[in-house]
Amino acid sequence: MNTEAAETSEDQGKIVRTTSAFDCGGRCPLRLKVVNGEIVTIEGDDAPEPDQLRACLRCRALRKYVHHPERLLYPLRRVGEKGKGEFERISWDEALDTIVEKLTHVKETYGNESIFMALSGGYLGALHGAGGLVKLMSLFGGYSTHYGNVSSEGAVWAVLTQYGSVMVGHSREDLMNSKLIILWGWDPARMISGTNTMYHLIKAKENGAKVICIDPRFNDSGSLLADQWIPIRPGTDAAMMVAMANVMIKENLQDQPFLDKYTVGFDRFKDYVMGDEDGVEKTPAWAAEISGVPEQVIIDLAHEYAAADPGTLMDCQGPARSATGEQYVRCAMTLCAMTGNIGKAGGGAGGGLMGIPVGHMFRSSGIPPVKNPAEAGGKSVRGTLDLNLRLQKRMHTNKMFDAILKGKAGGYPADIKLAWFVANNYLNQLGNTNKNAEALKSLDFMIISELFMTPTARYADIILPVTSIAEKNDLTRPWPSGPYYTAINKAIEPLGECKSDWEIACALAEKLGVEDFNPYTESEWLKMFVELNPETGPQIKDNDKFRKEGIHRVDLPEPVIAFKKEIEDPENNPFSTPSGKIEIFSQRLADSNNPLTPPIPKYMSAKEDHTDPLTKTYPLQLLTPHPRNRVHSEMYKVDWLKETHPHTAWINPKDAAARGIKNNDEVYVFNGRGKLIIPAFVTEKIVNGVVAIFEGAWYDPDENGVCRGGCVNVLTLDEHSGGGASVLKTALVQVELAREGE
Amino acid sequence: MTQLGFYFNQTRCIGCHTCAVACKDWHDHQEATLNWMQINTIEKGVFPHLFLAFIAVPCYHCEDPSCMAVCPADAISKRAADGIVIVDPDKCLGREGCEKTPCLTACRSKSPQFGPAPDAKMQKCDFCLDRLEEGKQPICVEACPMFALEIYSMENLQQKYGEQKEAEGFRYSKKIRQAAVFTPKPEVFS
Repeated sequence: MNTEAAETSEDQGKIVRTTSAFDCGGRCPLRLKVVNGEIVTIEGDDAPEPDQLRACLRCRALRKYVHHPERLLYPLRRVGEKGKGEFERISWDEALDTIVEKLTHVKETYGNESIFMALSGGYLGALHGAGGLVKLMSLFGGYSTHYGNVSSEGAVWAVLTQYGSVMVGHSREDLMNSKLIILWGWDPARMISGTNTMYHLIKAKENGAKVICIDPRFNDSGSLLADQWIPIRPGTDAAMMVAMANVMIKENLQDQPFLDKYTVGFDRFKDYVMGDEDGVEKTPAWAAEISGVPEQVIIDLAHEYAAADPGTLMDCQGPARSATGEQYVRCAMTLCAMTGNIGKAGGGAGGGLMGIPVGHMFRSSGIPPVKNPAEAGGKSVRGTLDLNLRLQKRMHTNKMFDAILKGKAGGYPADIKLAWFVANNYLNQLGNTNKNAEALKSLDFMIISELFMTPTARYADIILPVTSIAEKNDLTRPWPSGPYYTAINKAIEPLGECKSDWEIACALAEKLGVEDFNPYTESEWLKMFVELNPETGPQIKDNDKFRKEGIHRVDLPEPVIAFKKEIEDPENNPFSTPSGKIEIFSQRLADSNNPLTPPIPKYMSAKEDHTDPLTKTYPLQLLTPHPRNRVHSEMYKVDWLKETHPHTAWINPKDAAARGIKNNDEVYVFNGRGKLIIPAFVTEKIVNGVVAIFEGAWYDPDENGVCRGGCVNVLTLDEHSGGGASVLKTALVQVELAREGE
Repeated sequence: MTQLGFYFNQTRCIGCHTCAVACKDWHDHQEATLNWMQINTIEKGVFPHLFLAFIAVPCYHCEDPSCMAVCPADAISKRAADGIVIVDPDKCLGREGCEKTPCLTACRSKSPQFGPAPDAKMQKCDFCLDRLEEGKQPICVEACPMFALEIYSMENLQQKYGEQKEAEGFRYSKKIRQAAVFTPKPEVFS
């Protein structure tokens, strides 16, 4: 398949059309020039405008990632202490034989549930990801695993509660129809929510839309687009939204016919907002006290959004990655309903996910799964909003290290003895990294499939070297929205002895004696994935052309608008909720009777927010936004990217002055869980009382336990919200000048 | 003579450095210190009323280049056909060979640069001559995710975008006459 995707010429090398499959919201067409087995230059999409999809700096540096001198090229066995990173090269045979021996030992001694598979999105291809390996582990008798998407769980839970669907987005051309765009905690310039999203936003602004940015930071998108920046205290967005609802209700600005026709439970929400439920009216003054946003600003925004015809409130997954994060998303969706902007061109349903049913990653094909015997029996969890039900068989993702440490005695479903990490750097990327390191030390045996010696990999007993995106053929899709499908084309032969996760599964299947595990060739699998997929089957008629071009674009006759048919013809198109309507009140939640997930959206206070008495010791709130120059912790080692945006802690001049901190001073940021050292970026671009450190820098503890790498998760909590969000944006810290060497 | 110029739409730039990374990739700059394309940040105002802008700084291929005027070895020249300012590595005396490396201080954009090697020759943005010769736009233009850049004759650029010669973080000099056209970001505070 390699050759059919390439235009080869003897002297000049070849051009391979492909894309990336990082855990990034974009999928950008790339043209890799390959000479003598090496990528030498990268060009972007050459489709004519307006179809051209442009990559960001990350994929422009792709070759420095693929050909990085620190790539792991051979299977390794740990020879030093866990965490020290001392390994020796072994053969694949030896590595796989050891794995078979350990898997068998754990299975026979403790049962399959003691085998833990830690999976994530470091590689998001259809064939060569972890899907084959988990299938094999099911065939081996089963495994324990985790529940809850680190990035988006709060938002996913909220949209399933309120709409019963994750397809809450509009295709981005529709932004041109908006008169008002509210970026509420959403920074697509940084996290790339779909290739070209920032371009669509600037076009909408140039078209006359007013843009308002609500964020504790004057973020990258807001600083380009926003006519107004409304700085807000982290974790208080729901309070401000509830107060906007209060203004609308008091002045009768809500779209009552819309609410009557399409929603259930608005009256219950109204009772809460007006204080009939608990005696506290949620006035702008009430919210101003909580959020730090002036009363009049809240009133004005309520007026403006209610009057916008149409307006879109773009919330996001980020602020939902917090202690009560799903409430922010539910409140946002409730405002969308109150203003009648759902199902309407130029409007928006909120929900933070932007999903459209054309090219959505969730609808990609993959290796057909088999049931995990270790999860057999018990109540079905399908479609449930009750997190406790889901956690009967799985550990919450942000609790996996606690589960490793405590096992069944700690209330978890299994005692974990052996763990296999695939396509993730969870030690670094989940809350409470110092504790996570202790958990990894406690494992009987640990395997990791990796491309680099990540902080997580340093604790492994066996490391299996994995091919990069350039070394295999596959299919991949953008997170939320196409409208297009992309193919990954092999540009170079696997470096060293690297194998894909799928190839590792196949090799292990052979060792385990599993017959017919891989009945097809790579190209047969990929062709089947295209042909049998309900979206691509009818769309992509010429698979060879698709593979050669690396992309199939879908012409939309008109923009996709979430819930258009539910609004236009509700009789025949009920929402996928139990009531068939937008559930501002959820009976399912009322039935689950969990105080952390009330049946109507509410502002709720939480541990380690600005009201916690712990603020006496740790007075600053911590934010952990997406980095721009890496994909979470992937690409961290690429110097071309590192130098573009130095890793710093953002701090307001007032907070800095109170601590004698000047711009670029080295500071300690710390709390009871950890301490890191980092240069301060003293800036007006962040609200007073808040520190922001971008996630994904690699954990590097010194002999005193101070993280020299600036891994922000040494400071975050290993907890989850009521709906299952990983609490990575609710934490209190202190900052002080680092006086090292004095 | 045609003078090629650089168009920068400042109202679109998000300071992402994609142009700079693409430039390093295309020209294969391994050294962290070499940046033919530089991005400067302009931050103004006091919380919460802020103004943020970026300026992309390639070589502006001045009509009367100050680097060319000061070079003791006549290594810098301006192409007659398109006004692109180029350096002849055979004539350049090199980082340590040139007594004062006056090109470094003469250029207000810091476009001339030397690699770390003692005998490194001066180098700078050449508007991707190799690509222009193939009829392609320079790599920074092709890469910009915000479609904010263009390289074209000054005449055409001015026709298309007007004659605005300045932007936040960039001052025009009548003496050297940088070949650039801007859509500046209006100084409006959030």
